[in-house]
Amino acid sequence: MSAEPFDVVVIGSGAAGGTAAYALTRRGARVCLLEAGRDYDPSAETPMFARNADAPLRGASTPDKFFGYYDATVGGGWDVPGEPYSAAPGTEFRWWRARMLGGRTNHWGRVTLRYAAHDFKAASIDGLGADWPFDYREFSPWYDRAERLIGVIGRNDGLDDAPDSPPGILQPPPVPRSHERLIVAAGRKLGRPVVANRAAVLTRPIDGRAACIYATPCLRGCSIRANFQSTTVLLPAARATGRLHTLTGAMASEIALDREGRATGVHYVDTATGAHRFVAARAVMLGASAMESVRLLLNSGGSRFPGGIGADSGALGRYVMDSVGSNLWAQFPQMENLPPFNDDGIWFPHVYIPWWGLAEQRAGRLDFPRGYHIELYGGRMEPAADTFDLLDEVAPGRYGKSLKQAARRYYGSFVRLSQRGEPVALARNRVEIDPRGSDRFGIPTLRFDVRWSEHELKQTAHAQKSMAEFIVAAGGRVLGDPRQDPARAILSPGRVIHEVGGARAGSSPKESVTNSYGRVWAVPNLYVIDGAVFPSSAHKNPTLTIVGFAWRASEHLAEHLGRA
Amino acid sequence: MHDRREVIARLLRVLAAGALLPALPAPLGAAAERADPQDAAEAGALGYGRDPNLLAPSVPWPLLLDAKLRPTVARLADLMLPADERSPSASALGVPEFIDEWISAPYPQQAEDRRLILDGLRQLDLAAGGSFATVDESAAVALLDQLCEPGGCRDPLAARFVACFRRICLIGYYTTPAGVAELGYVGYQPAAHFEGPPPQVLRRLGV
Ligand SMILES: Cc1cc2nc3c(=O)[nH]c(=O)nc-3n(C[C@H](O)[C@H](O)[C@H](O)COP(=O)(O)OP(=O)(O)OC[C@H]3O[C@@H](n4cnc5c(N)ncnc54)[C@H](O)[C@@H]3O)c2cc1C
Ligand code: SF4
Repeated sequence: MSAEPFDVVVIGSGAAGGTAAYALTRRGARVCLLEAGRDYDPSAETPMFARNADAPLRGASTPDKFFGYYDATVGGGWDVPGEPYSAAPGTEFRWWRARMLGGRTNHWGRVTLRYAAHDFKAASIDGLGADWPFDYREFSPWYDRAERLIGVIGRNDGLDDAPDSPPGILQPPPVPRSHERLIVAAGRKLGRPVVANRAAVLTRPIDGRAACIYATPCLRGCSIRANFQSTTVLLPAARATGRLHTLTGAMASEIALDREGRATGVHYVDTATGAHRFVAARAVMLGASAMESVRLLLNSGGSRFPGGIGADSGALGRYVMDSVGSNLWAQFPQMENLPPFNDDGIWFPHVYIPWWGLAEQRAGRLDFPRGYHIELYGGRMEPAADTFDLLDEVAPGRYGKSLKQAARRYYGSFVRLSQRGEPVALARNRVEIDPRGSDRFGIPTLRFDVRWSEHELKQTAHAQKSMAEFIVAAGGRVLGDPRQDPARAILSPGRVIHEVGGARAGSSPKESVTNSYGRVWAVPNLYVIDGAVFPSSAHKNPTLTIVGFAWRASEHLAEHLGRA
Repeated sequence: MHDRREVIARLLRVLAAGALLPALPAPLGAAAERADPQDAAEAGALGYGRDPNLLAPSVPWPLLLDAKLRPTVARLADLMLPADERSPSASALGVPEFIDEWISAPYPQQAEDRRLILDGLRQLDLAAGGSFATVDESAAVALLDQLCEPGGCRDPLAARFVACFRRICLIGYYTTPAGVAELGYVGYQPAAHFEGPPPQVLRRLGV
């Protein structure tokens, strides 16, 4: 297939771009997908059953592979060689990227939570930030579709902060693992919910995809297609239509505009040769991941849109967010010296602690405006380079036979509780083009200026205290100090890898970059479809909402292309 | 053969003086005269990169531990994790070779560990008046007792050395199939259902 102009050029092949490729080709559009990274084939490349014993450094984290040797991240990490970014003095921002077909969906954490009605309208409730330009009722059909397509386990628990899905969508979740049962019991004691996690993993086969076999780490990807990756779910279906043309090693550098200010296509760099190329299309969709999409907008527009496409709104590059994160480790005496048994499960949490404080917050009894949930990691996982990182805390100074006894005794008894919270969107938290920076292709790079406010710090103090309460109620001991200064406990912005915002959607071109469909106000055939459009970022991990938004935007565009 | 009491006395003296690990970068005595392998690593050995073959893993960097230090590493590793009624010693599971792989790796954490480990090992040999590998058991144990005891070394670098060495030993030991089995990890077993923990475990958990 060739024949330019394409109906649509989609930039990026992850959750957002993959969804657009899927939805648009289904609707008959001819799509050219530009992906900066290399081609990637999960059916041939996934080291499903590989063991740490066979990996360099036994799979330990390195700057080359931060999440371990077998992690399905190609060409990326906290830095991408030749593609730098910077942070304003006195600030830190960590930006995780991948350079591969499917982007970060090949190795993401698969936690798949819906926003609730109040999450779309938080500003109306507490006066901070901006509402989404649609409400839950309007958006929930897209959640339904997205959940059906990607496959999600979970239960409908009727909670105020975690909406139920319509019957027949969620797949049965696996029973909790050992350490998770301790937390479930603690929840009963404390009167707080601990419920089945929602994760993009199949426990029943659908669409020719197998069910999970409970045996291999999801972060490596899944060659039997039991979890959700763009490369196993979205792109094969798009390809099967015969209407998808994929260009890998194609780094978009600028959106081309004609004299009327309409998008005509995309300039890109062939990453193998450095050659500058152009692909023409009737419409362009930006799904390069939130910060990359903002960077493309900032780097486009020429003299027609000084400061970038959408800059006239005053919102471009602003209201950048990440989930609020902090950790607290626990050690559980009940988990010591357990007999051998298989506790692998789906490799991601089987249960989580949803936000229970909504009513209290509404009643003004909490000193922070937005909620958080708690995820659980650890327990009896495959022994790895970090298994005994905390051994010294509970059994200091050992060597010899007593060290071996300690290793046997404490193995699997460490559990990490992780806060995942909603930040408040602030105009001062921004990205801009670094006046001194460009990448190896000569494309100007980003400088981050993002700082936590009182809201996030107070939330973190509360979360640290709550996590300690859970640990104690579960009979564990707290490792670390939950009462420490929250400024020390809180992870730097970007570290949770839920970076969103920078080109928010809204109902007026005066304060937002796109309309409710991600359509750029100033350029009607240009859409932003990834996390860049988030006006606020609920504590719920963003990817399900990105998929729903990208799908809705793609249907909107398909209508306009007149090929419905 | 050294006189045992003399060796213990010297080791402990070195510890008490807080001089087991002198300030970097100038290593003491004989250690200084050899070309330092850490320079070789910094001079351009490469890691496995951002896109290694995950189906055929291999270690691309050259190993740096010199022949003289190998017995010292093996001795100390076996003191850390000796054979017992349940499982073999560190050296029987290839831990010394793993330590070599680890400290030779061209990554920041490993480079930091390398300096600490190589200097520490050389100081041990110096204090032992030759090779720590030949020090008799009671002297070695006396040393380890003091080195491992929290707050037992006045020299903070000595404490870091021993903690670092122990950490690498634990990784090298418990990620091997024998180490994994000893910990009782059972996994990577494809199944149609996840059964969850067995009843006797649930009883132990009290849930
Ligand atoms: C370890 C980890 C765990 C995570 N866990 C969760 C979780 O549990 N739940 C959740 O909801 N989210 C999670 N996330 C976040 C999730 O991965 C992202 O929200 C999601 O992948 C975003 O989709 P995207 O399409 O916007 O971006 P990506 O998936 O990053 O895809 C963007 C693609 O665009 C390409 N690209 C970038 N710039 C250009 C350019 N100029 N030209 C062409 N192509 C370009 C990139 O190479 C990339 O392939 C996690 C992320 C990580 C790293
Ligand atoms: S745990 Fe299940 S879904 Fe995840 S990679 Fe393994 S088989 Fe696939």
